[in-house]
Amino acid sequence: MTHTDAEILPDPDKSAMHAIEVSHLSKTFLIRHEPGSVKRALIGLLRKPRIEHFHALQDVSFTVPHGQTLAVIGRNGSGKSTLLSLLANVYRPTTGTIKLRGETGSKARVAPLLELGAGFHPELDGLTNISFYGAMLGLTAEQMQAKRDTIIAFAELGDKVDTLVRGWNDGAKLRLGFSIAVNTDPDILLVDEVLAVGDEAFQNKCYRLIGDLQAQGKTILFVSHDLAVVERVANRVLWLREGRIEQDGDVHQVLQAYRDFSLSESH
Amino acid sequence: MRDEIAEVVRYRYLLQMLVRRELKVRYKNSALGFLWSIVPPLLQVFVYTFVIRGALGAHVPHYSAYLLCGIIPWTFFSTALLDSSQSLIDNYDLIKKFYLPREAIPLARVISNLIHFLLGWVVFFIAFMLVARLKKDGGIPLLPSMIWFPVLTVMEVLLVTGLSLWVAALNVFYDDVKFVIQTLFGLLFFLMPIIYPSDVVRVMSVMRLHPWLFKLYMLNPVAAIIDAYRKIILEPISPSYFNRIYAPGDSLVPSAPIDWGNLGFTFLLCLLAAYTGYRYFNSRKWQFVERP
Repeated sequence: MTHTDAEILPDPDKSAMHAIEVSHLSKTFLIRHEPGSVKRALIGLLRKPRIEHFHALQDVSFTVPHGQTLAVIGRNGSGKSTLLSLLANVYRPTTGTIKLRGETGSKARVAPLLELGAGFHPELDGLTNISFYGAMLGLTAEQMQAKRDTIIAFAELGDKVDTLVRGWNDGAKLRLGFSIAVNTDPDILLVDEVLAVGDEAFQNKCYRLIGDLQAQGKTILFVSHDLAVVERVANRVLWLREGRIEQDGDVHQVLQAYRDFSLSESH
Repeated sequence: MRDEIAEVVRYRYLLQMLVRRELKVRYKNSALGFLWSIVPPLLQVFVYTFVIRGALGAHVPHYSAYLLCGIIPWTFFSTALLDSSQSLIDNYDLIKKFYLPREAIPLARVISNLIHFLLGWVVFFIAFMLVARLKKDGGIPLLPSMIWFPVLTVMEVLLVTGLSLWVAALNVFYDDVKFVIQTLFGLLFFLMPIIYPSDVVRVMSVMRLHPWLFKLYMLNPVAAIIDAYRKIILEPISPSYFNRIYAPGDSLVPSAPIDWGNLGFTFLLCLLAAYTGYRYFNSRKWQFVERP
């Protein structure tokens, strides 16, 4: 049913190498120039609303082999978040396909690693949130039960796990998010601007965690505005400009081109 | 639609977690906790009993039992719909970031309200069957027509689920939906046979002149379901008791039996609500979070 389902592949040996296979992906948003209300809808029956087509992504194709860390960069509105939402199966592609595979070539388990505390309910305690988050990632109660202690230990939460998430600091929330993402053993991690928050000690901890994930052979796709983070973490950079791939390749080369471009744009 | 249902079944554990979360969050900071699902209907019973008996002077035997038979299904219907209408907005951050079958979100609210609804009936039966019997005033006998209880509950669940999917999806695009249903429910509470039996409407002079008007009135599936609950659980009550000029000893207008034909039609309406609700929800669910 979902577009992440494994499909019949022409060459299983070759395609099993790729964790992410995006081909000719386009996403067009329809922007209706009318606020949503019944009154407007009734008026709209008489008068056609003005509909604008916004092409957030146009004909984007790329593949990511297993174990690679790909950074997606670009200015605001270049389509980075749209791409991430499409990979997370939160948006549907207008055209084109996305295939996400595990290392065995089966359907991949994708874990989105989100901004601080997204996916946690502030009015529930840590334990309940862990079970809930696990269910969101598609794990069963038994699987989650087995991993619970590891998750809590890794997040260095201790007794705090019994308290409401509302009272936690950002560090604890992010550690728990990381811990669940790492310990539920996903094939692909989608990371959205997480690494730029927190103080230096905290950021260092994040880098170590990302390093651990890379060492475990996880495929990581992350979106960032922070080029220093990109330089430090990524194996490859994809530069999106106005919904199209501007450059895709070596970290230093693409970053240099992007920096030159940004400089020329700001003049 | 079959694929979509299979996907919800595949995510049943998440649905279970969503329901648990609903139940936990609702009473998170309250001392009475779960009692809050029982206290409001009981307070309603006190107030309406006061209005009908005291202020309007209608002496209806076992009025509180008749009233609760209307309030319990009505509360399920209205609260589930109101809760569902806000469900996608409340969980917007979740559906914007994670994949899940999105119908699970309003469904979780329907199910948590269903649990309160069933709990309400448990309290009702304990109160009226056991306690009233202990008091030796006869109490309320368990009627054989009670076997229809599960059928009525299935009907109401279908209706509530279907309409909840409608309002949940519509409310994402039109903020007015919440206000429309709030206003509508305030009025429907008095228009529907909740604080009085449907027979009171049936014997109104205008309905006697135009019997089709009463048929029209009973085409409302919520009215039909509430009326049926009352008639299968409790012994027939004459509408004359609700007449202010009725005095003990006067002859009583008999109550009408359940209109099974109308109830069958209501069942079809409930199925239609469930089917169209799910169809509409599925046609819109990929647009909920799509913003450039």
